[in-house]
Amino acid sequence: MKKQDKILTVILLAALFIFLIIANLFLDAYIKRVLNLCAIYTILALSMNLINGFTGLFSLGHAGFMAIGAYCVGIFTLPISVRPANFYIEPMHPAIANVELPFFVALLLGGVLAAFFAFLIGAPVLRLRDDYLAIATLGFSEIIRIVLTNMQSITNGPLGIKNIPTTANMWWIYGVTLVTVIFLVLLISSSYGRAFKAIREDEIAAQAMGINLFRHKILSFMIGAFFAGIAGGLYASMLSTVDPKNFIFTLTYNFLLIIVLGGMGSVSGTIISAYIVTAGLEIMRFFDEPLSIFGVSIPLFRPGLRMVIFSICLMIIVLFFRNGLMGNKELNWDMLRGLFSKRSKRIKGGEAR
Amino acid sequence: MKRVFTIVLCILLAMTMAAGCSSQAAAPAANDQDVIKIGVFEPLTGANAAGGELEVEGIKLANELYPEVLGKKVELVIVDNKSDKAEAANAAIRLIEKEKVTAIIGSWGSSLSMAAGAPIEENKVPTVGASCTNPLVTKDNDYYFRVCFIDPFQGTVMARYAYNNLGAKKAAIIQELSNDYAVGLANFFKEEFVKLTGDPNAVVEIANYQTNDTDFTAQLTNIKGKNPDVIFAPGNFTESAMIVKQARTLGIETPFIGGDTWETDEFIQVGGDAVEGVVFSTFFDPSAALTPETKVFLDAYAKAYPNRQPAAVTALGYDAYLLILDAIERSGTTDSVAVRDAIAATKDFPGAAGPITLDENGDAIKDAVIKTVKDGKFTYMDTVKAN
Repeated sequence: MKKQDKILTVILLAALFIFLIIANLFLDAYIKRVLNLCAIYTILALSMNLINGFTGLFSLGHAGFMAIGAYCVGIFTLPISVRPANFYIEPMHPAIANVELPFFVALLLGGVLAAFFAFLIGAPVLRLRDDYLAIATLGFSEIIRIVLTNMQSITNGPLGIKNIPTTANMWWIYGVTLVTVIFLVLLISSSYGRAFKAIREDEIAAQAMGINLFRHKILSFMIGAFFAGIAGGLYASMLSTVDPKNFIFTLTYNFLLIIVLGGMGSVSGTIISAYIVTAGLEIMRFFDEPLSIFGVSIPLFRPGLRMVIFSICLMIIVLFFRNGLMGNKELNWDMLRGLFSKRSKRIKGGEAR
Repeated sequence: MKRVFTIVLCILLAMTMAAGCSSQAAAPAANDQDVIKIGVFEPLTGANAAGGELEVEGIKLANELYPEVLGKKVELVIVDNKSDKAEAANAAIRLIEKEKVTAIIGSWGSSLSMAAGAPIEENKVPTVGASCTNPLVTKDNDYYFRVCFIDPFQGTVMARYAYNNLGAKKAAIIQELSNDYAVGLANFFKEEFVKLTGDPNAVVEIANYQTNDTDFTAQLTNIKGKNPDVIFAPGNFTESAMIVKQARTLGIETPFIGGDTWETDEFIQVGGDAVEGVVFSTFFDPSAALTPETKVFLDAYAKAYPNRQPAAVTALGYDAYLLILDAIERSGTTDSVAVRDAIAATKDFPGAAGPITLDENGDAIKDAVIKTVKDGKFTYMDTVKAN
């Protein structure tokens, strides 16, 4: 990293910090909420991109890992005083009924548990490839959901949990997002990251180079699941309620959409597309409002139209950007400089190298 | 390729501009002072879209019939929550922050309502749910109310029906385990049935199934062995119809009873002859006018949607709107806390789906309607008083 880049990065972080202060003071709850959701989806999409985009394992189990983290925070941060009201059909299991953990501990526990379950499922299943792996992990995420539904005394079953303290404010969420981004960028540029990419390109060649396939695959899978669990915990705390129906397998497709749109194997692409997809859907809400031009109301503008337009936009992007917005390139300072400087300069710079 | 892309972008841009212009043009025309905004957040896309659409029908109908309160026009702001929890919370906050609504109606699906509960309480905006039956929605939330009765009441009603009308002494339950609604109903049925019979073992078997299951032979064989007098089967209509059908094939002649989810055409289509004679509780029946408002609603509905029977949730959406309007009128202001107090004080309000009195949790205490299937049609049987 060049010195100038380092300075720029520090400036960017400071700008983010100032932005957060301003956002917290002046923006209304609605915009803050959308920004928070964007950040949580960024963590989820990044962790899924680590598994799918960088290691080339087609896993669809993300909703399950997220559910583990969400329930961990839900169960353990729920104040003991409101527990009887929540668990009104079957009282909470005595072993955990009086256990209340601080938010941070519950969040970490959620991540660790998600990683642990990722190990359990990953050990046998990561031997599979492509579609088979996708099916196995998809099934696993459904198993988690059904287990959560059936553990009435621990998870309150299908009724869900309400009144979870909303500890996860903007600082928490953006702090965790920043840590995730930095960790993943460092991981990907380390020797482990290069091994992941080698596995993605060609497993046999990677093995021939002396890369321990199983070890690297399970490592990527567990790290991905860990961050999914953390994001799930933030999600539960932000919404203040969890229930199993929230984590049906279609939830995973939201994140798959984000990483395909942003570019499989691009951290910056994932971040950009998480914001486009999440905030974009909110911005497009005006399509849902009734519209009249010169007093003539257009019947097309009714609730639901934004989803139609969103789908059309997706199709356009998929048609014109085959590899997603960023492909597997990264948005870094060199690229930005290239964009803003004159074309001739860029060519000269290319020759100089 | 590039040209096509440019053209598409241009069209999108033009549409955005058109939308922007129109909302700017519309804003000064309708002075904010003269409009009372009521927000509606419902699933209009995604898995629960059908239910949300039915509710919105009723709300719109009520708005057409009663467009004014306190001499001001009532404007509905309908937002879609995509059947997604995070979106539901976003939609509710949008209504509160951007649209500055006086009150909110919604949403179909208890989990969506629960997600919106926290911001609603925080911002003190009174909200009336139409058909969210999970008790947790209104529990410990001073600003959430509902016009439907909750799961405990329906379970209790069916237990009483089984004991009093069918003379049952032993009951079996087969419940849809992944459904908060079914589990709630089953639980309160059991409680009440045990109390009525005085026999702690009156419920001889509780069998479970998952949504989208198709084979219930194992559970039914088990139940057959226990030989109950009645089988309570709360759950989704398709699965329930298949359960009844498979039970009859297995030679189980025990009467089946259930909850309001059964009241769909699909239930009869799937069940066919097998579901003849099953009994369930529901909110409302067009043939038994519960209040004068029922007739007003039915006439308006027949005019707006000829050839269709109004669903119970449509009537409930209609009632939710009327309840808010009545509260605004009684409080004489649009101040959210005053409106909230007026809603909480609602007593014997004549809604289309029966008179509504709200209890201290904000849940409606109202009569339940008992229906049966006769000659392939849902037929009114009885009305069970709330107390």
